[in-house]
Amino acid sequence: MQQMEIHSYLKQFFMTTGCEIEKETEDYLTVQLTCEMDKMLMNRPFYWHYIEKTGGIPEPQKITFITNFSTEKNSVKGERIHFGSPRLQQIFHAAKKMGGFIRLYENQPGREGKHTALYPWLCLNLKISYICDRRKDFFRSLSMNLINGMIVDDFHRKLTDKNVPLVPKIPDFAFTFSPLFKPESGIRRIKQFVEQEILRDDHSWATEARKRRKKDMKLLDSFFEHTEEKPERYFVEKEVIFNQYEPKITVSIINGGLFYLSQKFLQMNKKKYNS
Amino acid sequence: MNVPIHFDETWEESFLTRVENDGPWSDWNIYNLALKAEKHLMIPSFEGLQAPKFLPELQPLPHQMEAARKVIERMNGKAILADEVGLGKTIEAGLILKEYMIRGLAKKVLILVPASLVTQWVAEMNGKFHIPAIAYRKNYSWEKTDVMVSSLDTAKRSPHREIILEQSYDFVIIDEAHKLKNHKTKNYEFVQNLKKKFCLLLTATPIQNKIEEIFNLVSLLKPGHLGTYEEFKEKYKKEKNRVNDDHLKELINKVMIRNRRKDTTIQWTKRHIETVLIDFSKEERELYDHIAGSRKQYGQIFNHTFSILTLEREACSSKEAVFVTLKNMLKNNKEPEKPLEKFIRTTMEKIEKIQINSKAEKALELIQSINDKVIIFTEYRATQLYLQWFLKQHGISSVPFSGGFRKGKKDWMKELFQKHARVFIATEAGGEGINLQFCNHIINFDLPWNPMRLEQRIGRVHRIGQKKDVIVYNFATKGTIEEHILKLLYEKIDLFERVIGELDDILTRLDICSLDEHFADIFTRSSSVGEMRVKMENLTAMIELAEKMKEAE
Repeated sequence: MQQMEIHSYLKQFFMTTGCEIEKETEDYLTVQLTCEMDKMLMNRPFYWHYIEKTGGIPEPQKITFITNFSTEKNSVKGERIHFGSPRLQQIFHAAKKMGGFIRLYENQPGREGKHTALYPWLCLNLKISYICDRRKDFFRSLSMNLINGMIVDDFHRKLTDKNVPLVPKIPDFAFTFSPLFKPESGIRRIKQFVEQEILRDDHSWATEARKRRKKDMKLLDSFFEHTEEKPERYFVEKEVIFNQYEPKITVSIINGGLFYLSQKFLQMNKKKYNS
Repeated sequence: MNVPIHFDETWEESFLTRVENDGPWSDWNIYNLALKAEKHLMIPSFEGLQAPKFLPELQPLPHQMEAARKVIERMNGKAILADEVGLGKTIEAGLILKEYMIRGLAKKVLILVPASLVTQWVAEMNGKFHIPAIAYRKNYSWEKTDVMVSSLDTAKRSPHREIILEQSYDFVIIDEAHKLKNHKTKNYEFVQNLKKKFCLLLTATPIQNKIEEIFNLVSLLKPGHLGTYEEFKEKYKKEKNRVNDDHLKELINKVMIRNRRKDTTIQWTKRHIETVLIDFSKEERELYDHIAGSRKQYGQIFNHTFSILTLEREACSSKEAVFVTLKNMLKNNKEPEKPLEKFIRTTMEKIEKIQINSKAEKALELIQSINDKVIIFTEYRATQLYLQWFLKQHGISSVPFSGGFRKGKKDWMKELFQKHARVFIATEAGGEGINLQFCNHIINFDLPWNPMRLEQRIGRVHRIGQKKDVIVYNFATKGTIEEHILKLLYEKIDLFERVIGELDDILTRLDICSLDEHFADIFTRSSSVGEMRVKMENLTAMIELAEKMKEAE
C-alpha cells in the first residue's frame, strides 16, 4: 500500500465515519474525531466511563496523521502512518468491524405504470487460506441470484467497475422480487461451490508439508531409538511437530449481503456463468 | 484431497439476524474500505517475505533478508542464527518473527535473553518491528501475554518454570544461546522441555570449546538431525573444536546461518589510525623517571595489590591520576613504612612542579583542528575530570561518561553529546552500553593493556550505521611504557586496521580468560623491560597463530 493510497484511505475512512477533516495537505491530515471514533480508536475507556458517569461534556480528540514523511515539515506534529503501523492496523480493524453486512438497491427509479423490477443477489466476499507451517490466502467474491440460483464470480469488482448506482433504500417506482432461495440456502450453495472449487485445486502444498513433517518425525524417532522407555519429552515433541505442519484450509467471510439489481446486471453476466 | 476445510460460521449467524430485524446495515463506503483493508492484508504466496512491506522504515540489509528467507523457506522456522558480531542477528530474528506473525502462524511467543538485554529487546521489538512485546514483571501473567520477553534465569525458576512449560508456544527466541551448550545444565533441560513450533537460537560463537556444543544446540531445535549423542561422539571424536568433516558441515548448514563480515555486501567504512607520539615536558619527565626509577629501589616495599607499573601508566595520563592513587595509598596505609612514606612524599613534590599536561595540550590542538565531534577515552576517572575542566577553560563543552551509569542515564548522556556538546569523555567502553555511530573521531588518551578493550572502544563508533571513515588517534608518550605497549603489541598485530569484530573472532580462539591474565602477568610481574618484551612477543605470536587458524578455515 503506497503512502498516497494510505492518505486517501484515511480521508475516506474519516469522512465516512462523520469525522471532520480540519486540515489537509498532500503530506498530512488533521481530523477531529467524533465521540464514537474516539472510543473506537483512542483506547481510553476510563475517560469515557468517567464522562458517562459524571455526565461531563465529552471532548473527543483531534489527531494529525502524517502520510508523507520524506518531506516532513518540522512544524507539523503528528503520527506517522505507514502500512504496518499499529494505528493503520487499528483503523483497518475498525473498518472491518463496521463494514461487515450490507443491503443495497440499484438506483433505477421507474415511473408510474412502469415499475423497475429488482432481483435479489446474495454476495459473499471470501478469504480462503491454505495453512500449514506456511500460508497463502485467496480472495473470492461470489454472488448468487436468489431467483434463478445462478452464481456469479468476481461479483464485487463487477459492481464497482460498472459503477452500478446503489442506494440504501428502495428507489421510487421500483419493486423487488421476493427470493425463491432463502438467504441461508444462498450461503449454503456458495459454500458448496467454493468447496468444489477447492477440491479441484492443486494441493501439493499439503503433500509437501506432510513430507516435511514425516522427515522431522523420523529424525525424532531415530533420536530416541535406543531409549527403551520414551521420556515425556518425546511425546511432547511429537505433538508439536504434528501441529506445526498439519495442513488445513479455512474459509472466512470478510463481508457480504443482499443486493437488489435490475435485469441489466443479470443480462451482462448471463452468458459467461452458470451454476 | 485429504485436507479438512473449515468454514467460518460467525458471519452467517450475524447476517441472518440482521435480515430478520431489517438491519442495521453497513455504509457502502465502509464496506468497500473493509474489503480493501482485508485484501491488503492477504498473503499472496507461500514463499517470500511480507514483513518488509509492513516495516518501510526498517530497511534490512541484504544478508539479513536472505537469512530470514532461508530460515522460513528452507529451515521451516527452526534455526541457529550465528552471524559474527555486529551483523544484526536481532534484526534477522525480528524479521522472521514478524513474518510468522503477519502470516498468522505465530501468536504465542517467548523471548529469552540475558537480564541486561530485556529492555533493549522489548524496545527493539516494539520500535523497529511493531511487535507488542512485554517485559516480564512480577504478577504478569505468562498465560495471558502473547509476546513475553524475560531473562532465562527468571523463566527457569519456580513457579515460572512450571507455568511456562505448560504453555504451547508458537515461537521461541533465545539470545546468547551459547549458554545452552552443555546438555547437563538446568538451562538446557528447561529449553529442551519448552513446547515450541518455531525456534531461533542466537549466538555469535556456536562452538567455543568442544564439537559437542554444536550437537547440543542442534538437538534442541531438531532432535535427531545430528544423530544420537553416542553416534555423534563416536563419529566425530577426532574433530576437536572445529568442524572439518564435509558431511557434518552440510548437516549443520541445514539448521544454521552464519554470515561472516567478509561475505556481506555491507560497505564498511575504513579505519584510519594515527599514532601521536608526545614529548613530556621537563617536569612531567622528571615525575615519570622518578616513578620508573623507583621500581628497583622500592620494588620490595610494594605489596601485591599495588604495582608501580600502575603509577607509571598513570603518569603517562595525568598527574591527577597519580595523585589520586598516592592519596589512596596513604588512606589504606595509615602508618606507612619509612621508604614508602619517602617515596610518596618525593613523588608529591614532583607532581606539584608540573604546570601543564602535554597530552591534554595536544588533545586540545587536535579537537580545535577537527572541528567536529570527538570522543576521548581514558582509563582513569581523575584524568576524565581533569580533561573536562581543562576543555571548559578553552570554551569546549564536554560530556563525561562511565560504564557504571544506568541505562536511562546512558541514553541521556548520549543525547546530550549528540545535541549539545563537542566532546565525549568516557572512562569505560565496556559492555553493550552505548552506540555512537554519529561521531567518527576517537582519541585514545591512554592505551589499555587488553586489545579487546580497545576494540570495544572503537566498536562503539565503528559499526553498522557509521557513514564516514573512522579516525583513531592513539596517544603515547615517548620513552615510556606506553610506547612499549603500542610498538610491541598493537602495531605488531595490526590491531587498529582490522575490520569490526575480526579481533573478536581471533581472540575467541584463544582462551579469553587466560588472555586477561597474560596481560596482567606481562605488565605487573616482569622484572625488566627485556622480560616484558619477550613475553609480549610470545603473546603476539599466539595471536598470529590463531589468526592463521581462522584463515585456514
